[in-house]
Amino acid sequence: MKYLAIVTMFSMSLMAASPEVLQYMNDLSKTAKAENSAFNGFDAARGKEIFTSTHTGKQGKPMACTSCHTLNLANPGKNSLTGKVIEPLSPRANPQRLTSTKEVNKWLKRNFMDVYAREGSAQEKGDVLTYIMKN
Amino acid sequence: MMKFLNLSVAALILAGGVYLYAEDEHEEHEHRSSSVVAKPMTPQEKSTVALYQKECGSCHMAYQPQFLPKRSWDKTMNTLENHFGTDATLDPSDHKTIQNYLATHASKNDRTSDMKGAVALRISETPYFVREHREVTKKMVTQPEVKSFANCNACHTQASSGSYREREIRIPNYGRWED
Repeated sequence: MKYLAIVTMFSMSLMAASPEVLQYMNDLSKTAKAENSAFNGFDAARGKEIFTSTHTGKQGKPMACTSCHTLNLANPGKNSLTGKVIEPLSPRANPQRLTSTKEVNKWLKRNFMDVYAREGSAQEKGDVLTYIMKN
Repeated sequence: MMKFLNLSVAALILAGGVYLYAEDEHEEHEHRSSSVVAKPMTPQEKSTVALYQKECGSCHMAYQPQFLPKRSWDKTMNTLENHFGTDATLDPSDHKTIQNYLATHASKNDRTSDMKGAVALRISETPYFVREHREVTKKMVTQPEVKSFANCNACHTQASSGSYREREIRIPNYGRWED
């Protein structure tokens, strides 16, 4: 058990997120488990699907996370409505990313609403964060 | 001297001083009326301005509050869950801080007074804005480098620091604005 904890801590230190955000993901994981007993950890592949698939967004038009953030998270994106440049989402390209739970929470809520016209579930949020962390 | 000048310009900008009057013939008058030394901001005021610029400036320019009256800002802040088609909601504490900031610095002379009672959400809807931009052609605005009237700083090169002087205008692919 102790060994597992050390391994977990080590693998987390390799992940590109602050302890605060990792704690937030830990909480998401507990909620996901409570909501679905079959939940078995976050998955970057599911996160990628959430991030890259197109949906009917808040404005009733086709929309994806990639509409603004592009497919390459290490590159800057562009707000599809205003044209304003968005700094890269990848924590490796932009160390400011995934350092504040408040920011992460705010943008997950807003952007799920914009792309999916609903809030994301705990599992979806965790999956998409896991995908972002790996990019 | 230059350094001092820069600092005082920064102080004016931070204090919310905006050169709203872009017409050059107004500038001399503007300089006189704004030559009052701006009171330095308290740390709290500075952090409020920083919060406003960060929160409202992440998707578009953080427009100077002086461009709209309080009732416009209140309407904007009360409809952030559908802010021009996107969700721009804030956490309750930041929401309150920003709403107060906008109310305090809103336009005192109501630039929307002849909108037949309608409350302007877009600065570009206000009669003052419409008048000032009446000679700007549609092509100048809709070109990709500008996109819409919402991007003040596409042409007003000093817009984000609160200055809209005519001599600072550079329209992409067109150049200076000659009246």
